[in-house]
Amino acid sequence: MSHAANPILELPFGTLPDPDAYIQAAMAWHFDPETGSPFWLERAKTLDFDPRADVKSHADLALFPNVTDEIRDVPAASFIPKGYGSKSQVLAIIESGGTTGAPKALPLMADFAQLMVDRDVYIFEHYGLTHEKNWLLFSPSGPHGALEQARRGARAYGVLPFAIDMDPRWVKKEIGAGKQAEADAYAEHLLDQALFIMRGQNIGYIRLTPPILSRICRHDEWVDLIRENVSYIHWGGASMDADTRHFYMDEMFPGMTLAGSYGTTMALGSGGAQRFGAEDANETIFDPTLSPYTTFEVRDANTGERVEYGQRGQLVVNHVSKALLLPNNAERDAVTRIAPVNPNQIGDSIADIAPLVEFKGQKVIEGVY
Amino acid sequence: MSDVLDELFQIDALGPSGAYRSRNRMTVTEVGGKPVAELSLAPAPYVSRAMSALRKADTMDREARLAAIARAGEAFQNGTIAGLSPDEYHRMVSRISGLGIAEVRSAAGKIAAYSQQAWDRAQFARPLGVVPTTDHPSVGKGVGLWVRRGDVFGVHAAGNHPAIHGGWLEALALGYRVAVRPSRREPLTPHRLVTALHEAGFGHDHVIFLPTDYAAADEMIHASDLAMVYGGADVIAKYSGTRLLPQGPGRSKILIAGEHDWRDYVDLVVESASRGGGTGCTNVTTILVEGDRSVAADFARAVADKLALIPSLRPEDECAVLPVQPIEEARRIESYLLETAQGTEAMLGGEGIVDDLGDGSAVMRPAVHVLDSAADVQTKGIELAFPCLWFAPWSPEDGLAPLKSTLNLVLIGAEDGLIEAGLEDGSIRNVYAGAVRSYFSAPNMPHDGYLADFLMKSKGYVRVPDALPPAP
Repeated sequence: MSHAANPILELPFGTLPDPDAYIQAAMAWHFDPETGSPFWLERAKTLDFDPRADVKSHADLALFPNVTDEIRDVPAASFIPKGYGSKSQVLAIIESGGTTGAPKALPLMADFAQLMVDRDVYIFEHYGLTHEKNWLLFSPSGPHGALEQARRGARAYGVLPFAIDMDPRWVKKEIGAGKQAEADAYAEHLLDQALFIMRGQNIGYIRLTPPILSRICRHDEWVDLIRENVSYIHWGGASMDADTRHFYMDEMFPGMTLAGSYGTTMALGSGGAQRFGAEDANETIFDPTLSPYTTFEVRDANTGERVEYGQRGQLVVNHVSKALLLPNNAERDAVTRIAPVNPNQIGDSIADIAPLVEFKGQKVIEGVY
Repeated sequence: MSDVLDELFQIDALGPSGAYRSRNRMTVTEVGGKPVAELSLAPAPYVSRAMSALRKADTMDREARLAAIARAGEAFQNGTIAGLSPDEYHRMVSRISGLGIAEVRSAAGKIAAYSQQAWDRAQFARPLGVVPTTDHPSVGKGVGLWVRRGDVFGVHAAGNHPAIHGGWLEALALGYRVAVRPSRREPLTPHRLVTALHEAGFGHDHVIFLPTDYAAADEMIHASDLAMVYGGADVIAKYSGTRLLPQGPGRSKILIAGEHDWRDYVDLVVESASRGGGTGCTNVTTILVEGDRSVAADFARAVADKLALIPSLRPEDECAVLPVQPIEEARRIESYLLETAQGTEAMLGGEGIVDDLGDGSAVMRPAVHVLDSAADVQTKGIELAFPCLWFAPWSPEDGLAPLKSTLNLVLIGAEDGLIEAGLEDGSIRNVYAGAVRSYFSAPNMPHDGYLADFLMKSKGYVRVPDALPPAP
């Protein structure tokens, strides 16, 4: 049977709770034997602190160990808070990329998926996206959550979602095996399918990854179709540097809204969206649009200390919602720490996401070139 | 700080709509570490659109383009281009690349010479049955014609030596539209050459200069019909394919066989090793000498004694021969050499080859090592971009095996059978029999095959009157 949660855990998008009261209510929910998930109730036994007594604020989330590497070995069902009462609130099991070893699988609860939809609609409205044209979504379905979430956004916005499924694991496998030509053929296959949709389905919005957009630039018909019909391109799933972004906005698609987002499966696909009004900045800035549920911190990868604004560091993601608790997750991404513009935002904004590089001795390659 | 950076020479991308300056710029430094220029790095979609424009462009007619190439070469050598006089350009390239300034000046002269001869040099590769132009008197009887295998030629260039940029002028002469992706180590030479070509009349959509990171370089190669790629074995492996002409390692070798006294060939080996600073793929890497190991060791010692006399000089010194590198890079190469040389006998450079100039740069001093047997040549005889030699004993029983995988193979005193075997072997690109320096070349000789072999194909052509001849 389901348990009533503290209403502070169930606020609609845009209504912000008192941050400390929120954290304390979340700890009470996730560590109460009646409402917490089997994973956390078991894991709590080996924590050297009592989350319900000791975690009073977002800053205290740093007490938690980073458990994301343990997730591979845990059944997804163990992450469902008992307080939901049954599994009927689980919309999907979503999996991480899974490029090295077993993927990490997490349950996506309907209430959090709705928060993400409401956030997306808020962004579409901000950019004035038309309801009159349809959407083309290049996005992974199958084990991943992104395509289904994008479809939910389309339903909420009242437009038709045309989808091209992408299998990122297959592409990474091909590239990892040195089969660049096959990876290229797969990407062309995606574009070939989508071209029919572009020609005939009144597409005004495209959601894609930066490599797909880059590949589109090789095809004149694609470029012409986008120039004629599309007013908004949303990118995510990989990074895009400022030169590339400005080339699209200034040269290729003048007048286009080009906005990116950053999400991680370890926060159920949520994360940040490109800062409104910062499209001309040299950095690509992301604000955590689902603060206080999903928040960022930028730390020195070696010392664990917060870096200064403007400095590079390792991205740490905290996810604290009624649906899931995954705090203190150090991602394999380096970012620049950016000051928030919203006074109610918890944690940092971030910019210029890039893989965290481990510095090792460079190898000498034989030859004169 | 920004005042200082504003004064750096800006090396912009030169695309179809003119110069492009990116936000993400790489600082080009002198070998001592002092910043001298900033290189714009074009993002991948810029490359895609530039290549698309190149594909749609028209090719200038032959007379006009040959005249424009020749004018550009003249200006490249003697004019002020992009604000740089020839002297400033030579000095800058010398300070960036570490090549001696006299060598840089000579390379500029070679590029200018290539620009006058680009068409004629290509003709050496023309098959016997192919006539040069469609107005040839034999077209009525049926002839072969030479046509391009594609329209867009990509060059993934190297930075080891400026003269390599003379090569792709041949593609331009044959009517290709050309994209040059410069080495980030020395982008100045192709920037100057492409600028000169534009000023001489080439359209901005006919020849383009595309500095990029590695990912966008792939985009350039992808969008080319044919491409030439310089690089070590790893780069060559990445880009192998029929549309690609790899410019791989040289590993040039000299064999002194038979009764000949090696003492006669000390100077030939020294010059083969050190000309141009030893940075070229035609500089000798391995020397095999018939006899036992002591003969190879004596020969190596004599060569080492001469190489040791080459002075360590700053690259801008008129007498500089040995290449200069940033000190960390020099140390990195040195430790790789010392690691590889373990188990061999060092005649020179056994303790290291780095000569610190005290300004953050270092001279790469020559290295001479002796291998125990010819069997070690293929594993130990590594090619590095300074005079770095490996001597080994050879006997006729060793045969061709240690001589394989070679750009220029010099065979002195070899029997005819070995010369023929060398000519037939697919891994040996050129065979020089007799007392020839390893860097020998002549305009009519292929370097690694003729470039035009790769660029052109033959087509049948006949041209007779449209009216049928009257019935007899």
